[in-house]
Amino acid sequence: MKKMILTKDLTRRFDGTVAVDRLNLEIAEGEIFGLLGPNGAGKTTTVRLLSCLIAPTSGEAIINGYKVGQDDMQIRRIVGILTESPGLYERLDAYTNLEFYANLYEVENAPKQVERYLNMLGLWERRKEAVARFSKGMKQKLAIARALIHEPKVLFLDEPTAALDPEASKVVRDFIEELKGEGRIIFLCTHNLDEAQRLCDRIGVLKTQLIAVDTPENLQRQMFGRRMLIRLRQLTPEMMAAVRSLNLATALEQADNQLILSLGDPETATPIIVRRLVESGGDILQVTELKHSLEEIYLNLIKEAQ
Amino acid sequence: MKKVWIIVRKEWRDVFRDKMILLTSLLLPLLFIAMPVGIIYFMERAPKTSGSGLPPDVNVPSGFEHLMRRPEFAGMNPLAVVEILMVNQFLFYFLMIPLMIPMFVAVYSIVGEKQQRSLEPLLATPLSVWQLLAGKTLAGVIPAMLITWISFGIAALGLALVARPEVAAIMASPMWLLAMLILAPLLTITAVVVAVIISSRVNDIRLAEQLGGLLVLPLVGLMIPVMMGKLLVSVAMFAIGSAIVALLDIVLLYLGVKLFQRETILIRWSR
Repeated sequence: MKKMILTKDLTRRFDGTVAVDRLNLEIAEGEIFGLLGPNGAGKTTTVRLLSCLIAPTSGEAIINGYKVGQDDMQIRRIVGILTESPGLYERLDAYTNLEFYANLYEVENAPKQVERYLNMLGLWERRKEAVARFSKGMKQKLAIARALIHEPKVLFLDEPTAALDPEASKVVRDFIEELKGEGRIIFLCTHNLDEAQRLCDRIGVLKTQLIAVDTPENLQRQMFGRRMLIRLRQLTPEMMAAVRSLNLATALEQADNQLILSLGDPETATPIIVRRLVESGGDILQVTELKHSLEEIYLNLIKEAQ
Repeated sequence: MKKVWIIVRKEWRDVFRDKMILLTSLLLPLLFIAMPVGIIYFMERAPKTSGSGLPPDVNVPSGFEHLMRRPEFAGMNPLAVVEILMVNQFLFYFLMIPLMIPMFVAVYSIVGEKQQRSLEPLLATPLSVWQLLAGKTLAGVIPAMLITWISFGIAALGLALVARPEVAAIMASPMWLLAMLILAPLLTITAVVVAVIISSRVNDIRLAEQLGGLLVLPLVGLMIPVMMGKLLVSVAMFAIGSAIVALLDIVLLYLGVKLFQRETILIRWSR
């Protein structure tokens, strides 16, 4: 898969304070990448660096073969950005807001493209209304449409559901989900871990430096190993001893009739353990892998970084 | 240049929705037209005394006698001289239009962008900073110059109808042509750049307008000695004025362009 975003030791300082420190990232075409981190971690600075709004202090970033700081105009043409606040022209109507940006991006057949996005977002009927009269959710949808109006190859979404009520958040999240599979990179900065887990292929945890980057599943494996839960009709001390004698689990816990095992290679170990339990007279009711939530992973990473 | 016009059109759509700006842009010029034309109309139609040719209730103010004796007024009817001196004073007001309108437009536009937080998505587009600055500048300069010239033209037409020829001729004098064609456009640039500088520091439109309004003070300062008869407007005065404003514009433009950089706008401009 073609690497669309590449950064190498990308660093940005503000008056001596390091906002982003030696960021190394590779993001492939079509990937939805989530950047997580506490307030002040450097997420917005990263987005601003990658969309050529600010220049790096050192290091480099390449977007679709164009170098940040050298080919900024080309990068801006292929990048769309949803900033933390919608930043719409509130006195102007929805149509004029989109048309203005479509013209700035030199979109071919701008009126058709504006109509397409207003229809897609259910705003066509209200296209002549001043944006000031829109709800927060509608404004956010319009701002996403503005970021997409020129069909960018890279879409940066900075906290797209922050400050929205749950209903509006869902509308925006559903729309982002619809954008999946269109082949563009979606670079999502968020505090919302459920949102990140649901939408992102890979996740990076940033706290000035990139602490970790991988799929949520791999992060979990790296951090906690893999754990299997085996539920039995009745779990006896003999069965526990039988499993222990196999020496396959790095940790073994009993909770009522449930056995929780930490395994290095569950695909190999689980069938052996299940067989031994059955031979020991156990009735297996359920075998499942236990997963840590992204929240646990995130909090653990941030704690480690401190 | 196409993108500059996209900015200009958007600014006009946005800014002229504000009734205050629209009223200021229309009422001020109307007032400035009505004052010289109206006063000359009534002066010309008032009964005259035989000696001075002035209406009985019009006296030459103290301090003006020496102006009336200047060689350029030799042999002229005293009433015509008084009218010329008065029209010259009133025409000063027309120089306020290129200061005030672009100032209001630019302040409203830039502080408005800050308030709406619309600068960041705008700066993320493939738009160069000079295109953005040029768009914002022209959005104020074009209407200001059009309004200045049209209202000056209407005043000239009005004076041609109500005033005697030697008074009406002032409007086409080199002095006022210099003021309108050179000084006025230079003043619009001053106004826009000052607006950019103020807008980078201030987040409230009204406060920014009030601060920008201070820009007319030097002009008012110049009008006072003219009104008191201590100073006579002349080609030399406007030529020197134009040169000073041009130099000021260069300095201000240098400062304005330094302030109006993508990164500075995003990071340094107070929100």
